[in-house]
Amino acid sequence: MAERAGGEQPGTGPPPAEQPVAQPAISVRGLRKSFGGKDAVAGIDLDIGRGSLAGLVGPNGAGKTTSLSMMTGLLRPDIGTVLINGISVWADPAAAKAVIGVVPAEVRLFERLSGQELLEYAGRLRGLPAGEARQRAAQLLDVLDLKDDAKRLVADYSTGMRKKAALGCALIHNPQVLFLDEPLEGVDPVSADVIRRLLKRFADSGSTVLFSSHVMELVEQVCDHVSIIAAGRIVATGTMDEVRGGKTLQQAFIDLVGTRGKGGEGLSWLGSSSS
Amino acid sequence: MARVLVQLKLRLLLGALRGSNAARVSFILSSTIALLVAIGTFAGLAALRHNGAAVDLTTVIYTLFALGWVILPLIAFGLDGTLDPATLALYPLRTRPLVIGLLAASATGAWPLANLIGELGIVVGLAHGALAVLIAVIAAVLQVLFCITLARLVTTALAGLMRSRRGRDLAVLAIIPIFALYEVFAQVLPKAIGNHELTAASFAEVDRWLRWLPPGLAAHAVQDASTGHAGTAVLRLLLAAAVTVVLGWLWARALSRALVTADASTQGTTIKGGSLPFGRRGGLTGTIAARSLVYQRRDPTSLAYLGLTVVIMIVVSIGALRGTHPVVGVLISAGVGGASVGLQRGDSFGVDGPAFYLDALALSGRRGLRSWFAGQNAAVAVIAVPLILVVPLVLAIITGHPVDGLLAMALGLAATGAGLGIADLFSSALPYPMERRAGSPLPRQAEGFAMQSLAGRFGALIATAILVIPVIVAIAETGSAADAVRVPALIAGGAVYGALLAWAGIALGAAIADGKLPELVQLAARSKL
Repeated sequence: MAERAGGEQPGTGPPPAEQPVAQPAISVRGLRKSFGGKDAVAGIDLDIGRGSLAGLVGPNGAGKTTSLSMMTGLLRPDIGTVLINGISVWADPAAAKAVIGVVPAEVRLFERLSGQELLEYAGRLRGLPAGEARQRAAQLLDVLDLKDDAKRLVADYSTGMRKKAALGCALIHNPQVLFLDEPLEGVDPVSADVIRRLLKRFADSGSTVLFSSHVMELVEQVCDHVSIIAAGRIVATGTMDEVRGGKTLQQAFIDLVGTRGKGGEGLSWLGSSSS
Repeated sequence: MARVLVQLKLRLLLGALRGSNAARVSFILSSTIALLVAIGTFAGLAALRHNGAAVDLTTVIYTLFALGWVILPLIAFGLDGTLDPATLALYPLRTRPLVIGLLAASATGAWPLANLIGELGIVVGLAHGALAVLIAVIAAVLQVLFCITLARLVTTALAGLMRSRRGRDLAVLAIIPIFALYEVFAQVLPKAIGNHELTAASFAEVDRWLRWLPPGLAAHAVQDASTGHAGTAVLRLLLAAAVTVVLGWLWARALSRALVTADASTQGTTIKGGSLPFGRRGGLTGTIAARSLVYQRRDPTSLAYLGLTVVIMIVVSIGALRGTHPVVGVLISAGVGGASVGLQRGDSFGVDGPAFYLDALALSGRRGLRSWFAGQNAAVAVIAVPLILVVPLVLAIITGHPVDGLLAMALGLAATGAGLGIADLFSSALPYPMERRAGSPLPRQAEGFAMQSLAGRFGALIATAILVIPVIVAIAETGSAADAVRVPALIAGGAVYGALLAWAGIALGAAIADGKLPELVQLAARSKL
């Protein structure tokens, strides 16, 4: 693996996940958003400590994307506050945006740029000098296993390649806090492993990661902190062990959120024993 | 199989009709146009009776129809679900029944029927005698079959390419020659006919070549039958039928290939270079300009708009150029060119689409937004301004008054500045998501935003026209005494005035966008490009 793209390393020492959250990297209070009278996010409170690799899990439509969009300044909340390292996202968006990186769920990028150009563009947007942006872009593409495709247009990339390119764009300015919405959706196992290792390394250096997912195994493997969101509310939050309570995360999640559907009753014709 | 596929086509149509009011309206509109085309073609062909060049003209008309059948499905690719073999690739189907089924599905619908009805006009226009009428009916049916088979062969052979990114890009660019051709038919030909520069006899030369293609064979078969050469008539029809069968066989081969192979032509394409321009003195403006400039070069939509701008600049001026005051034509060309550049950029956030989130994460405050608008404008201007200066100049040189082209430069520069400035204002004030729909090569406003888009376009055109009035007055004052000193001063004045207008637009656009950046991000995210 290549060296992590330069810049100062924010925060030092081991991740203070087990310590009381004195000055959280992400602090959310009373965040609420409704669309057409329906609450998408019905008032959430959340604290994520610095250096934490936190997961936000929930069923489809639980409000994960809406919450992350509001935390990153891309969607205006009806009410509520979001502090990133003490900076209010909605009172001082410029300062807050400078310290975050974002990978949205539906990754649609500037398709007519090549991978190399796209990352360089993202770096220059964030104020890096052109030479530095080019160098970091090349290093990130190398680490993300996109080196051979660096000169191909993003329009010709697969879903997994786009996710990796978007991750590169989000990391190039060395943010203190990284938000990812379903980062491994549609990503092949090899690329998923690359992304997982990169995120772990990033968090181990003292930076903070919050990502949403509905793949419990993944969250269980990599996260030290987990929050479960259902119907626009946080129903459980804490360290992985606290939330699991001795069960698997999958079981804890189903116990909290409840099951849906009939599990295939009525499909008597389905399966090899029928004809 | 034929029944299933015909039913599939009808069901797809009914499904689309149930889907939305817009689909219903467009279906009614399309059926009405088909009916008008049927009546018009029938009447047109029938009116050729007793015309000395009837068979030449019929040959040309039949050939044009065949050409239409080849071109239109390529643009409408994705509109008709039965056109793309990939949709059927998963089913266990043999090629032969599939070929017959798809042919039947193709022949179903308002447009094939309109073609048949219209082209039956030769029964009145060319046929004299009972045998000739019979031959004419067979010829018309054969012509429609030929058109459908040809269209199927071309779409199937190109289906892999059409599904690929490169194919879609080419389809977008195809709009430039099609638009130019349309303008030739709608504007140039009627005038040529009006001035007696184009007569029925002019087609005899074309007919000498076209008569050996199936549409020509069909038309000439009717002519032969009418003049008592029944044998040659039948031979011609047999030849046309044989060509159609060969095309059908080729199509069946292309189909069986298309069912099992995918296009990989874009997999290996890489770009040269690899670094964004304006690295040295970038800043935010330079960075945005660098990306926009790459888009101006690589995005087929931008290229298509530039091509259309040139076509429009030429077409709008033709009438005036041939009149007594050619300078008016040259000026119109420059003014319209500038305004249409503004129209291209009139919805900057929607055109950027969901990728705008990347910019939004780095933008803050009016200053950032000013840089964003300025960067985009600079990139557009770098490509568009030379065009807007050169096209009127060339037109002026052709008419023999090169100084008119220099005068038009002042107007072109002012109009481009005004257009870009107003585009920035409208981008912030009346933003709407864009959508690329099947059947429409250029992205359009998303459903439900038609009025907003229309208001924006008309507003921009009117505002540009008003803003350039001072320059037009200045040109009128100078025009009578154009000399070496006044013309450069006029051009410089136009450039400064245009730059001021563009700058004002940037400032106003940034002021309006500031404070509603999250809303603009959400709106841009709704664009489907």
